[in-house]
Amino acid sequence: MMGIYVHIPFCESKCIYCAFASFVRDENFQARYFEFLNKEIKNCNFPDREVASIYFGGGTPSCVSEKQIVKTLQTIKSAFHVLPDAEITIECNPCSASLEKLKTYHSAGFNRVSFGVQSLNDKMLKFLGRRHTKAQALAAIENAKRAGFDNISADLLLGLPKGDIQNDAKILLRSGVKHISAYMLQVEDGTPLKNMVESGKVKLPSDDQTVDNYQKLTDFLQKNRFLQYEISNFALKGFKSKHNFAYWTGQAYLGFGLGAHSFDGKYKRFSSADNFEDYFTGKQNVEKLSPSQRDEEMIMLGLRCDAGFRLDALNASISEKPIFNKYVQDGILEMSDGVIRLNSKYYNVSNSIILHLID
Amino acid sequence: MMKNIRNFCIIAHIDHGKSTLADRLMEKTGSVASRDMQSQLLDSMELEREKGITIKLTPTRMKYNYNGEEYVLNLIDTPGHVDFTYEVSRSLAACEGAILIVDASQGVEAQTLANAYLALDAGLEILPVINKIDLPSARPDEAKKQIEDVVGLPADDAPCISAKDGTNIDLVLQKIVTDFPPPKGDEKAPLKCLVFDSFYDNFKGAVCLIRVVDGRLQAGDSILFMQTGRKYDVTEVGIFNPKMQPVQSLSAGEVGYVCASIKSVSDVRVGDTITHQSAMADKPLPGYKVVQPVVYCGVFAADGAKYNELKEALLKLKLNDASLQFAPEVSQALGFGFRCGFLGLLHLDIITQRIEREFNLDIITTAPSVSYKVLKTNGEELEISNPASLPSPVEIDKIFEPIVKASIFTPPSYVGAIMQLCQDKRGEYKNMVYLDAGRVRLEYRLPLGEIIYDFFDKMKSLTKGYASFDYEMDGFAPSNLVKLDILLNGEKCDALSLIVHEDSAYTRGRAITEKLKKIIPRQLFEVPIQAAIGNKIIARETLSALRKDVLAKCYGGDITRKRKLLEKQKEGKKRMRQIGSVEIPAEAFLSILKLDDEK
Repeated sequence: MMGIYVHIPFCESKCIYCAFASFVRDENFQARYFEFLNKEIKNCNFPDREVASIYFGGGTPSCVSEKQIVKTLQTIKSAFHVLPDAEITIECNPCSASLEKLKTYHSAGFNRVSFGVQSLNDKMLKFLGRRHTKAQALAAIENAKRAGFDNISADLLLGLPKGDIQNDAKILLRSGVKHISAYMLQVEDGTPLKNMVESGKVKLPSDDQTVDNYQKLTDFLQKNRFLQYEISNFALKGFKSKHNFAYWTGQAYLGFGLGAHSFDGKYKRFSSADNFEDYFTGKQNVEKLSPSQRDEEMIMLGLRCDAGFRLDALNASISEKPIFNKYVQDGILEMSDGVIRLNSKYYNVSNSIILHLID
Repeated sequence: MMKNIRNFCIIAHIDHGKSTLADRLMEKTGSVASRDMQSQLLDSMELEREKGITIKLTPTRMKYNYNGEEYVLNLIDTPGHVDFTYEVSRSLAACEGAILIVDASQGVEAQTLANAYLALDAGLEILPVINKIDLPSARPDEAKKQIEDVVGLPADDAPCISAKDGTNIDLVLQKIVTDFPPPKGDEKAPLKCLVFDSFYDNFKGAVCLIRVVDGRLQAGDSILFMQTGRKYDVTEVGIFNPKMQPVQSLSAGEVGYVCASIKSVSDVRVGDTITHQSAMADKPLPGYKVVQPVVYCGVFAADGAKYNELKEALLKLKLNDASLQFAPEVSQALGFGFRCGFLGLLHLDIITQRIEREFNLDIITTAPSVSYKVLKTNGEELEISNPASLPSPVEIDKIFEPIVKASIFTPPSYVGAIMQLCQDKRGEYKNMVYLDAGRVRLEYRLPLGEIIYDFFDKMKSLTKGYASFDYEMDGFAPSNLVKLDILLNGEKCDALSLIVHEDSAYTRGRAITEKLKKIIPRQLFEVPIQAAIGNKIIARETLSALRKDVLAKCYGGDITRKRKLLEKQKEGKKRMRQIGSVEIPAEAFLSILKLDDEK
C-alpha cells in the first residue's frame, strides 16, 4: 500500500514567500507538461500497485485546465489499483476553484479538497501576493460543500505581520472545514519576502510572539475537538490527512511531476529534477539511506506527529542515551507500549529535542 | 673572503613591502629564476603570506657583481612582532646592516620605528629605502623627511624604489655593498657560531641556522653548544640558495646551516653559541636567553574524540617550534586537551590557526592566562597557569603576578590617552622622554595579565595605530588577585574561570555574564548565568527558555531536504559543549576576552 503525489508546478502568479517549484506558464507549455506527466505515470514500474491515497499539490492544481487534472487522475486509476476508500486530495486556490471545477473534481473521484486560505485578513492576503480575498475564500468553501465535498481542509499562516489567526480559525470552523494546517511563515532565500525583511521594509513578529499565537491557536482548536496530530496539522476525528500521515510514518509513496519525491518505504528515496529541462529528460536523483540516516528520519518524522516512532524499529538503540532518559523522565518524551512520542507541549522546540536525540 | 660578504636584514612596518623587496633582490641577483618565482618566496608559510608577517626565519644567499668584484649577500629575514623580539634580536645580531623600508605614501609608522631602534641597539648600519614610488599617492620627499625627523637617520640619499615593478633595485644592491660594512671576525680564532634559528627537516633532523663569528666549521667537526652543554658531530654544513645546498665549510662572517643528527628543535636554543669540543672558545656570545612562554591557554578538540589527533598536531608543530609548550589538561567542560604555553598572543593565534588549517582540526581554546606564583598558607609554593587550578582563597597567603617593563612610542598628541589606558591597566608610570617633535617614549611597569587582556586593541584604537609597543619581562609582584568563576544553571564552568584583580572583578563579572547571555543560545529551560568569587555571587543574568525551534513542513514528501538540514545542524552542534545540562558554543570560551566590542 502506498500514496501517490502529483506535482502541478503552475501558478497564476508567485507569492512573495514561495520557494517551491512553481512557475507561471501558458497553456501550451502546461499541455506538454501533462503529456510527459501522464507518460511518467504509465511507465512507472514500482512493484507495489495498491494506492491508499492520492494528492494533487502544487503550485496551484486548480489554476490549470480541469480536463488535464481529471485525465491525470484517470491515468493513475488505470495504471494502479486505487483502493475504493482511497483519500484523493486536490489543492485549490480559493479564487480559481469555481463551483463548476469543484463539481468536475468531485465527480472524477476527488474526495478531499485543501484550500490555501493563509489568512482571512484582506490586507495580509494582498501583502502575501495571494490573489483571493476573505470573501472568496469563504465562498470557495461553500462551493466545495455544494459540489459534494465533506472533507475540506484550509491552510493558515502563522507569523504574519498582522491579522488574528485565532479569529480566522473560528470563522473557518464555522464554515465547516474539518482540517486545518497552520504553518509558520518561513523566510526562504531568494524570495521577495527575504529582501523585504532584510531591507527592513517588513517587520515580522518575533519568534516568541509567533509561538504565543501558535499555542493560542492550538488551544483554541483543541477546545473545538480538533486533534493536533502533527506539529502543524489539526483535524476533527476521522479527518486526518492519510496522505501526509504516510510521509511521517515511513510508508511508501510515489511522486510524479517536477521535483516530486518518492520513497520505497525502506531505504531508497528518489526524486525527479526540479527544473523543466532536466525533468523532461526523465533524470532522477536517487538516495540510498544508511541505517543511521533511516533512524534519524524515523526519529525526526515520528516526533513531529502523534504516531511517534517504535523504539524497536530503530537500527541502533537510543534508550541508553542519558538525554533520552532525561527527556522521558522530564515528560518531554512520552513512552507507551514501545512507542515514543513527543509531548505536544514541546512541538514548538521539537527541532532541538530531535537534534539531541540523533546526536 | 670576508671583505666581500654582506650580512643584512630587511625591516619594515607591516605591508611596507619587505617580502616583495626580498623577492626582487633574489630575482635581480639570479638567485632564483624568474619562472620559478612564487611571489614572496621568503614568506613560505601560507599563514605568513596571509597575515603579511614572517614567523619563521628563512635566510638566503645571493651573489652580486659590483665594480668587477663578486660579493656574497646574505639576507636574513626577521619576524616582525613583539612576541618574537628575542628571535629578532638574535637575527639582527647575525647581521651588520639593515634595510629600513618605508612606504612612500604611508611614511614612518609604528613598527618602522620599533624595528629601527632594535637595529640601532644591535649596532647595525641602517639603509633607509623609500618603497612604492609607483603609487600615485607616493610622497617620497615627505617620507625621507619623516625618517630624518622621527627616526633620526639621514635619508637624503635613500634609494627611491618600487619593489613591485623593479625600479631602482640595482641601486639598493649597490648600497648594500658600499654602505654596509663587511663582517669582522677571525677565521683562525676558536670557533664561535651564533644560532639564530632552527627548523626541523624530516631527513636531517633539527637544522640550525647559524652565523659564523669566528673560526671555521665543517662536516665531521665535533661541536659543543655552550649554553646547553650538548655535544654533537656535524654531518653537514651548507648555505641557502635559497634552497639548502651543502658546502665544504663555513668560515667567519658567513651565514648558513649546520646539521648534526639533532633529534628535535627543542634540543637547540636560539642564541646559543656553537664551538669546537677540542678548541673551545673562551666564552659564549653575549645576549643568550632562555625564552619562556608568557601566555597560556587550554586547547581542546571540538570533537572530543579527536584528542589523539590534536596531540599529534601539537607534537608535529613542536618539532619546528621549540618555544611552543604543552601538557595534558582535563577540563570538566571541555574534556581532555592540552594546556599550551606561547610567546605571546600572536604566537598563540598562529599556532591555533595552524592546528585548524594544516591538521584540519576544529579546536576550542580557552581565554589566555599568564602564569602566577602562589604562596599557600601552608608554605607551599605553586606556579599556576590555569585559573581553574588556583587554590581556594583561604589557602592562599599571597599571589604574585608577572610584570613587564613596557615602552610605548607615540606621537605626543596621544600621550594623555595612553597614560589613562596604562593607569586603567594598573600600570606604574616610570618615565617619559620626548625623542623629537613627533615622538614620545613612555615607560610603564604593567601587569602582563592586563596586556594579554585587551591592551593592544585598546592602544591601537586610541592612537589610530600610530603607537608602537614593546615590552620585556620584569619579574613578579604581589597583587590582590581573585578567581572569578562563572556558573551556568548553578554549575561552575571550569574553562570559563579567570584570575582578575579584585578591583575589576565586579565590572568583569557583569560584563561576562552579559556577554554570555548574548552568546549562549536559549535552552529548553531557563538558565541563570552567574559570576562568583568563592561562594559569593557578584553578577547574574537570566537566559530565558527557548520558544521556537521547529523545522518547516515537509512539503510533498521531501524528507531529504529536512534531514540534510538536520545533519548540518548536528555538525554545527559538535562545537557545542555541555556544562551540566547547559549547552554552550565554543566561541563562548574566548569571547569573554572581547568584552568591550559592543560598548
